[in-house]
Amino acid sequence: MAKITENTRNEVRETVFSFFAEECETDKSQINDNTSIIKDLDGDSLMFLELIEIFKKKYNLDIELKTIGKYAVKHPVETIGQLIEMQLLIIEHENRLLELDK
Amino acid sequence: MAEDKPAFVFPAFISDYREDPSRNIPAFNEIFQSYLNTAAACTDEKLLAFHAVSNPLIEDELLNQYLSYIYGCSCARVLLNKGVNPGMTAGYSMGIYAALFIAGSISFETGLLLIQKAYEAIRKTLPHTHYGMCGVIGLSENDIGEIVLNSNLNLMIVNRNSEYSFILAGDSFHINVFVLKASEEGALHARSFGVTIPYHTNLLEEAASEFSKTVFTADVHSPRIPLISVLNQVRIDDIVLVRAEVVKNIHTPFNWLATQQQMYALGISHFTECGPSLALYKNSKFISGSGKFVKWDSLFK
Repeated sequence: MAKITENTRNEVRETVFSFFAEECETDKSQINDNTSIIKDLDGDSLMFLELIEIFKKKYNLDIELKTIGKYAVKHPVETIGQLIEMQLLIIEHENRLLELDK
Repeated sequence: MAEDKPAFVFPAFISDYREDPSRNIPAFNEIFQSYLNTAAACTDEKLLAFHAVSNPLIEDELLNQYLSYIYGCSCARVLLNKGVNPGMTAGYSMGIYAALFIAGSISFETGLLLIQKAYEAIRKTLPHTHYGMCGVIGLSENDIGEIVLNSNLNLMIVNRNSEYSFILAGDSFHINVFVLKASEEGALHARSFGVTIPYHTNLLEEAASEFSKTVFTADVHSPRIPLISVLNQVRIDDIVLVRAEVVKNIHTPFNWLATQQQMYALGISHFTECGPSLALYKNSKFISGSGKFVKWDSLFK
């Protein structure tokens, strides 16, 4: 289980903001924690998948996509802030993510 | 080798025009309108009601195919007029007709005829319209196989977009069950396409046979630029192969992942998606290789 430091939190935040700014061709300053991924940024599941792959490589994560999918069904993500929190949980718990619901 | 020319790739259907960049490109609109007029005269005058924003024709499977073809041909033509020549081409599923057109293998009108006759053959030979297709993202091929097997679903994988993105086709009820099961099993996305034709399945073998009567009498030429088969990734370089590909494309599964990788291997370093959305562009991020996608409208900025 990885320990989430302030540094990790900042890195994840910066990666998510930069990713959506580039993908959605919008200024980073227009994105905040309350920004709706679908309504405001027209985001989609392929973007979500791409972001997961970025974090899997960056933090060498051992987690199956379907584990994230099962977690996301119970904990839907709508905003950038929620997405950042989910990514932090993925980094922290990897394939044991679903144990959080037990 | 394809020097440093782009590959023009053509999507199958248009699901929306939200990302359509063409409205800001007058040269495109002129060509599109010209092709639209021709298509309306040759096939169905309802096409003249096309409007990218209100989009009244997108639900009709045949009109949608015509529009996708018209859009793809217009996009490629405006790029050619700009001096951008493709080094290779491929059509995703029914995008084959626009790929054949831009390769010089068929005329614009012959493309319309093939779309029409394929659709008529399918409607004539399929016993009902209770069929469908769906896309699933985030599950492996094994995961999908297990869902299909365990739920006793009469479906087949008809395309692999990437390691974790697939298209399935078959009975529409089974499609709906699959979409629910896939979500339960952790798919990041699973969605029925709302179509009634199970393209690329053996359910269309009889239709393909009927369609072949048109294909084998149609005015077809050898492609002038390399055309890559999405079915087996070979280069289609003569009339016999063109005709065979068009017929098989109806009822045979394809592999977009392998097709794009083959184009990388043949020296393609960049791709242009000739369509109003960015579906192939987005999917390409999950295909390893040294190439990249360039948005077609970027040449007009």
